[in-house]
Amino acid sequence: MTQIPIKESEKEEFSSKNKRKITRFIKFYLIPGWRDSEFSAIEYEIGKTKSKRKLFRRILKPLTIAGFLLILFIAICAVYAPWLTEYTVESITDSGLSGGVIFAPPSAEHPLGTTKYAYDILARLIWSCRTALVFGLTTIVIGAIGGVIVGTISAYFGGKTDSIIMRTVDLIMVFPALILLILFVEMMGEELQIMLYLFGMLSIPAYSRVMRASVLQVKQNLYIEAAKTGGAKNFKVMFTHIIPNAIAPIIISLFGGVGAAILGFASLAFLGFGDKSLPDWGSDINYARTRFSQYFAAFWPGLFILIAVMGFMLIGDGLRDALDPKNN
Amino acid sequence: MAQSQNMIKYIIKRVLLMIPMLILALIISWVLSQLMFVDPVLNKMGMLDIEILEAERIRIGFYDPWYVKLGLYLKNFFTGNWGTSYLVSDGEPVSVLIGKIFPKTIELVIIPIIIIPILSVKLGVIAAKSKDKPKDSVIRGVAILGTALPIFWLATMLQYFVGHYLSIYTYGELNLEIMNPNSVTFRYPDPAWPFSTGFRIIDSILFNSQALLQDTLVHMILPMICMTFVSLAGITRQTRASMLDVLEEDYIRTARAKGSLEKEVINKHALRNALIPTSTLIVGGTAARLTGALFLEIAFNYTGMGFYMVAAIRLGDYVVINGILVFTVIIILSGTLIADVLYTIIDPRIIYK
Repeated sequence: MTQIPIKESEKEEFSSKNKRKITRFIKFYLIPGWRDSEFSAIEYEIGKTKSKRKLFRRILKPLTIAGFLLILFIAICAVYAPWLTEYTVESITDSGLSGGVIFAPPSAEHPLGTTKYAYDILARLIWSCRTALVFGLTTIVIGAIGGVIVGTISAYFGGKTDSIIMRTVDLIMVFPALILLILFVEMMGEELQIMLYLFGMLSIPAYSRVMRASVLQVKQNLYIEAAKTGGAKNFKVMFTHIIPNAIAPIIISLFGGVGAAILGFASLAFLGFGDKSLPDWGSDINYARTRFSQYFAAFWPGLFILIAVMGFMLIGDGLRDALDPKNN
Repeated sequence: MAQSQNMIKYIIKRVLLMIPMLILALIISWVLSQLMFVDPVLNKMGMLDIEILEAERIRIGFYDPWYVKLGLYLKNFFTGNWGTSYLVSDGEPVSVLIGKIFPKTIELVIIPIIIIPILSVKLGVIAAKSKDKPKDSVIRGVAILGTALPIFWLATMLQYFVGHYLSIYTYGELNLEIMNPNSVTFRYPDPAWPFSTGFRIIDSILFNSQALLQDTLVHMILPMICMTFVSLAGITRQTRASMLDVLEEDYIRTARAKGSLEKEVINKHALRNALIPTSTLIVGGTAARLTGALFLEIAFNYTGMGFYMVAAIRLGDYVVINGILVFTVIIILSGTLIADVLYTIIDPRIIYK
């Protein structure tokens, strides 16, 4: 009974869309219950941005802003490295002595002094930002994608598949990750690419556990059953229905993961398993750690590691607090 | 009664499940150590005549087919012969070596393992009580600072500050040779251990030697500070989150309404329930402490497990690598078992079938 007049009125409004806009606007806002497709759409949009703004406001806590600024600093160093220093990568990573003064104190030529192989510390610090960011971001992409796929397959199929995958994951996680990584690096060579893949692969088990727990919850929902009843293939259900709904915990842990990856790379380099053809902070600390009279050579790289890792950890922490449904 | 019987059944089942896991771990660690490209013979003998090197390689079975090596390794492992160290400890049986170096690592780790939960639960409670106030922000900031700090850098800077700048602390000559691969001059100072147990603190009590106790504690205080500071964050954050959850519950309101002191409400009603999820982290963090100890041992030149592990990997001492790796795996496996059993004591609602 009541639906027919509404449809007619909507049609009418569509035809006379550009006419009488002001009167329609007044009617829409003053007469309660008056419907107007265009203005409802606008109102809906405003409502969406409002809730988005609320999320944004929840994310923007002082600690998170501090983290963002720290990462911005590292990113600027990484992107504008050629403009910030006059040294090229080749001139600060040539293995062997480069002819300068070893562990020179700060001077006009070397603002922060030189390292064990007489390279400029400032140049190495700035160029290392690239190495660290590339390593952190890429490993996390590999680990997260692998973990999402493995965890989803394991939880979705269940039964034997699940137990086989999870026992394998248990077996890998029984070994201390760092020692395993050192063994692999020693085995396959100390190139950045290889270390990157290895680190990514070794972080798959942890992510797949998180993803599995999340998928097991999402799997219970009715819309999954509806999709299956509708004749969707297994992979269709997995990739269009389950993963978008179950991926939130992974996204939250991504930022902390980048920080942990950067720290892990620095740790490996500190133990002497770093890529010698690229500048990195960990090897600088390793080279300078016995020279206590020239402590600055070990101090600055550590400070940069701290800035980079802390930035990602702070943002990760802020995101977790903002997206945690318990806090809202 | 039935509960404890179930428990015993569960423990037996878990121990039996550990055996295939252990065998797989053995095989994996063996494969890993065999795939390494480091040549132990070259590292040990230096650049001698090639024929002598070849003869030595044949003597230690470097060219044996893989099934012979794996079979011998498994047979030796289960008959109790874990092999003798080829390089790092020069002819010492690996079981003896592990018996000597493992107590050192445990000694370094055990005091932080006790201090960390106490301190960080306290911090977490304080942060939860004053949520979104400056105190909360400061505690969270310090906790995150601890996670983000590279432990080796903190160790180096502390050594510099206390040992060089203040000059109140003696640090040993750090052995940098460990970082140079294929170095021939790789030697460790002999521990020269006259006592029965490897734990120096226990020894000092047994033999009533105050000087030894003081010496040990003075050498361990900086590593302990580093480890405690670095691993505060996880438990603090978890305690804060679960305290915030618990403080919303009805029984807290009831406790406050009946007139309990705020201290009692926090310590008796809230904290006990909030500690259940935290206990997972406390027990599970032990493996992380062992990994953290690796860096501390290298930064402080403390000859524990991590120190020997890195040295063995660098020099290609396969026997030592296998021994330490398998031993670590056994510790982690039994650690998870103990953790699972402890949960039933902490939270009686958990029942294993």
